[in-house]
Amino acid sequence: MKKNTINLKGLVVSAVAAALITGCSNGNGNPPPPEAPADPANTTPVESAEVGYPDQLTYWVSLNSNVSATMKDASEIAAYQEIEKITGTQVTFQHPPQGQELDAFNLMVSSGNVPDVIQHTWSSVAGGPDKAIADGTIIRLNELIEAHAPNLTKVLTDNPEYRKLITTDDGNIYVFPFIRGDDNLLTYNGLIIRQDWLDALNLPMPETIDEWYETLKAFKEGDPNQNGQADEIPLLLDIPMTALNQAFLGAWGITDAFYQVDGQVHYGPMQPEFKEYLTTMSQWYAEGLIDADYAATDGTLKDAKVTNNQLGAFVGYSGSSIGRYTDLMESSNPSFKLAGAPNVVLNKDDQPLLGQREAPFGGIGAAITKANANPEETVKWLDYNYGDEGHMLFNFGIEGVSYEMVDGYPTYTDEVMNNPDLPITQVMAKYMLANYSGPFVQDARYMEQYAVLPEQQEAIATWMEADNSRWMPTLSPTAEESSRYASIMNDVKTYYDEMVNKFIMGVTPLDQFEQFVNTIKGMGIEEAIQLQQAGLDRFNSREG
Amino acid sequence: MNYTKPWSERMFDLSNIFFLIALSVVTLYPFVYVLFASISESSAFVQHRGILLWPKGFSLASYKMVFQNPNIVTSYINTIFYVLVGTTLNLIMTALGAYGLSRRNVMWGTTIMILIVLTMFFDGGLIPKYILMLNLGLLDSRWALILPSAMTTWNLIIMRTSFQAIPPALEESARIDGANDFSILMRVIVPLSMPVIAVMVLFYGVWHWNKWFDALLYLRNRDLFPLQLILREILIQNNTDSMMTGVGGGDRMPVAETIKYATIMVATLPILFLYPFLQKYFVKGVMIGAIKE
Amino acid sequence: MQPHKTVATPHASYKPSFRQRVVKDFRRNAMIYLMLLPVIAFYGVFHYGPMYGIQMAFKNFSAGLGIAGSPWVGFEHFQNFFSSFFFERIIVNTVLLGLYDLIFVFPASIILALLLNEVRSRIFKRTVQSITYLPHFISIVVVIGMMVDFLSMDGLINQLIRFFGGEPLSFLRLPEWFRFLYTSSAVWQGVGWGSIIYLAAIANIDPSLYEAARVDGAGRLRQVLSITIPSIMPTIIILFILRIGSLMALQDEKILLMYNPMTYETADVIGTYVYRKGVLEASYSFSAAVGLFNSLINFALLFSANYMSKRFSDTKLM
Repeated sequence: MKKNTINLKGLVVSAVAAALITGCSNGNGNPPPPEAPADPANTTPVESAEVGYPDQLTYWVSLNSNVSATMKDASEIAAYQEIEKITGTQVTFQHPPQGQELDAFNLMVSSGNVPDVIQHTWSSVAGGPDKAIADGTIIRLNELIEAHAPNLTKVLTDNPEYRKLITTDDGNIYVFPFIRGDDNLLTYNGLIIRQDWLDALNLPMPETIDEWYETLKAFKEGDPNQNGQADEIPLLLDIPMTALNQAFLGAWGITDAFYQVDGQVHYGPMQPEFKEYLTTMSQWYAEGLIDADYAATDGTLKDAKVTNNQLGAFVGYSGSSIGRYTDLMESSNPSFKLAGAPNVVLNKDDQPLLGQREAPFGGIGAAITKANANPEETVKWLDYNYGDEGHMLFNFGIEGVSYEMVDGYPTYTDEVMNNPDLPITQVMAKYMLANYSGPFVQDARYMEQYAVLPEQQEAIATWMEADNSRWMPTLSPTAEESSRYASIMNDVKTYYDEMVNKFIMGVTPLDQFEQFVNTIKGMGIEEAIQLQQAGLDRFNSREG
Repeated sequence: MNYTKPWSERMFDLSNIFFLIALSVVTLYPFVYVLFASISESSAFVQHRGILLWPKGFSLASYKMVFQNPNIVTSYINTIFYVLVGTTLNLIMTALGAYGLSRRNVMWGTTIMILIVLTMFFDGGLIPKYILMLNLGLLDSRWALILPSAMTTWNLIIMRTSFQAIPPALEESARIDGANDFSILMRVIVPLSMPVIAVMVLFYGVWHWNKWFDALLYLRNRDLFPLQLILREILIQNNTDSMMTGVGGGDRMPVAETIKYATIMVATLPILFLYPFLQKYFVKGVMIGAIKE
Repeated sequence: MQPHKTVATPHASYKPSFRQRVVKDFRRNAMIYLMLLPVIAFYGVFHYGPMYGIQMAFKNFSAGLGIAGSPWVGFEHFQNFFSSFFFERIIVNTVLLGLYDLIFVFPASIILALLLNEVRSRIFKRTVQSITYLPHFISIVVVIGMMVDFLSMDGLINQLIRFFGGEPLSFLRLPEWFRFLYTSSAVWQGVGWGSIIYLAAIANIDPSLYEAARVDGAGRLRQVLSITIPSIMPTIIILFILRIGSLMALQDEKILLMYNPMTYETADVIGTYVYRKGVLEASYSFSAAVGLFNSLINFALLFSANYMSKRFSDTKLM
């Protein structure tokens, strides 16, 4: 009984929707090609021989929190509404609850109950995108893109490194990718230091390990917050977050996990350099330069330590650390000033080897599923985002509303930059997708205006200074590889996390380092290195 | 009434009351903390350490942020629906099960009970459950949050234990009058079991109120989302830690620690009002005295 | 199927045949079975329906192949789990935290219910009741957040310690403190809510029993010991059996929020271990195997507890 009513209702709804769509496309005529002027009112119908846009699509994508703060779903974003006007394609968005996207994704794929398009972080899918294609979840797009996606094809031809990144080990292109289209967009995290403390103590910006030692010592002893108490915490060593940029450890040219030198994979914690790093950190810890509570400090506590004028240096982001803390402290402590510190080196004038840097393509993109009845049309629809109009829509929103062209430069309007009601991230989310992700190329001019504080801009420029060739690229392991890798690395990671803190805090003396290395070897690290090597070799021999 | 208490009993009463007051203070404090935090100025709040005896400044901005969410009103109504319909169904199902399984002389009773208890330990996992819901056509419908939660084994056991404690003599007269099992349940057992039924209303009601995982699995239509799911999203969108996984390294949102607390207040206050209405059933002796005739 | 079906002869004994007993039972209890029907249907569809998923523990589940089509791997996932470097440690930690819960958290609610029952003032009793159940509603994230705040180096507790001239401690990174903090916070959060069920049981006690006892000159302690506690004993036993049956089921989310690498030594349990593996790879099969292992142990514990209870008291679960 109940089931019947529900189904009936569903039928009625889709019938109405279909009628609406037909009505719409009849009124508008055939959708214009992407090259046509943006105004849909005076466009001419296109030849029927070419593939048109699809009538409707179901599109699964996790909803960014800046969108959900003010809107019910992504179809309310101005950029998508504009695209619907232009293409006539009615998109039904499906959004998993935030924070549980992976659960929802796995269930959806496992049950085969998939929509037309899935936008997801495909690199994090177990077994990788090749397996998703082999399993029949999504389809290979190489030929379809060649035939129906002139805009994306142009982007990939102009930037062969993008093509290599979005092509899998098996030579498949599987997504319309989210690409960070500029080096400035790839770096956003690094060491942050209290510039006003440096100034108060007349210290230069530290660059080497030795200079950092002197600086932190001065922070501890010189009362830079001028409250008469020695309550300064010179450095908060955030072990999980340093994994992003290898602060301090990177000075020795190794990472806390796998890294490569000339195509050869190594595991950082086994290297003799790692012992030197631990020796230095444990000395700092013993001298009270590192927060005694660091292993039990969460985000809230960190906020409190920064805003209480206690913390001298930490690892953080240009936005959520420099921008946010500066805003917060503006009224209570106008002299508060943060600066991005350069990636640390061993000897003065060395070129930093490692800093935080994301790949232009991190695996996020829109893939077309096997359930999609109109793959050609869908490809054409997605390709619109990579053309000039689509690019402007997704990065800057609606001309005259969210941005104006000023001397050829798309400038965000006051509606965006100085909105009285909403934070900038939420206003941006109302018009465009530039401040999170989607199937388009992100424009550097977004970040130039978004990171407004000069400290933020300078920090990004500083953090970008690194060779970075030792990072591992995003690999796509096979299903067997990933299961074997996971069972080795689960133990190794647990042991590593535990021991690294014990070494630093002096609970375990450093003469037991050899034993630590041997235990890791006993857990099968050599095999894990081989698995990584195999993945890296496949990556290096990718076409493109 | 005029019985004078021995000295030791007075001492006991005094220390008991003192202990209970101390306990109340300690358990009430977190709630007070949440309340104060939720109405504090967020920039002042982040700087505080340790105990909070008064709000830091005063601002309702956090509540404004919570209610600004476009899904909040719909989800509130949804949750009320889930609680009312769900709890009603729970009570019917649990009472039926507890009655049948508390009877002696029912040949298959123990077998059924063992099979039910087994489900507390073994289940097929998320994927088969999802596929089942797909096949039943329950995905993206309100019934997805009602039917699979029609009862819980834990509460069935509690109700059954309480039914078993009722002396069989009490139902004899009804049975002699020719009442069948259903009317014995309705006319004899249920009126005698008001305390445990009150507990069930509370347990089931709160359970439905707080439930979000089923919604996460079975619903894609945001118009059906329950309150807790939306509130979780608000928490996450204001959680600075989540930026570690976020793609926008540029995010520069204001500190919203206080929003977390406002969310808890919004999520908790309504269900708190349930308790006083049920509490009268916990008052000793109301029922028993009435039945004894 | 049934062993004595064929040998049953009508005049051989007083004992009716199995079939006769079934028929008689159905005739006598028809109404009861009818009432149980929705319950049986519910468990059949929603619990036993998806039960075939247990086979995932013995397979390498892959989304594309589905549960039935995924290849069998036998006990590989179990072996992986048992051969883990940390296997012993996480089992010990899991069992110990479960036992602490049983020993400290479980009785706390009973004691609170008994103490509340001794309060004469109705208003005071109601107020205390209402207040003590509040922490149950505060999300675990917030409870742990407050705990981290209070226990940090310059948090409230260490301020007090300094005030009394002690040496401050970084409680949350000392392995020896973890179990105490986990258990005491569980008492604090759950004692009031847990007492509700005992208060309901106490409310069901016939007041005339107390009157009779008073006439016999029993003091209050005597009344508690010989009336209140025996009357709620069935409830206590049933809940105790259930609690034993979930000995290995801990609040994994709480531990995840509370622990850090420095306290892994005492805090790392089965659930958190599997979670961290899940971060490396979404492995349904592995977690299904560990879940099954957990369930088997819990079920065995429950069964023994039930058996013991059946032997030594009248109360039983099954």
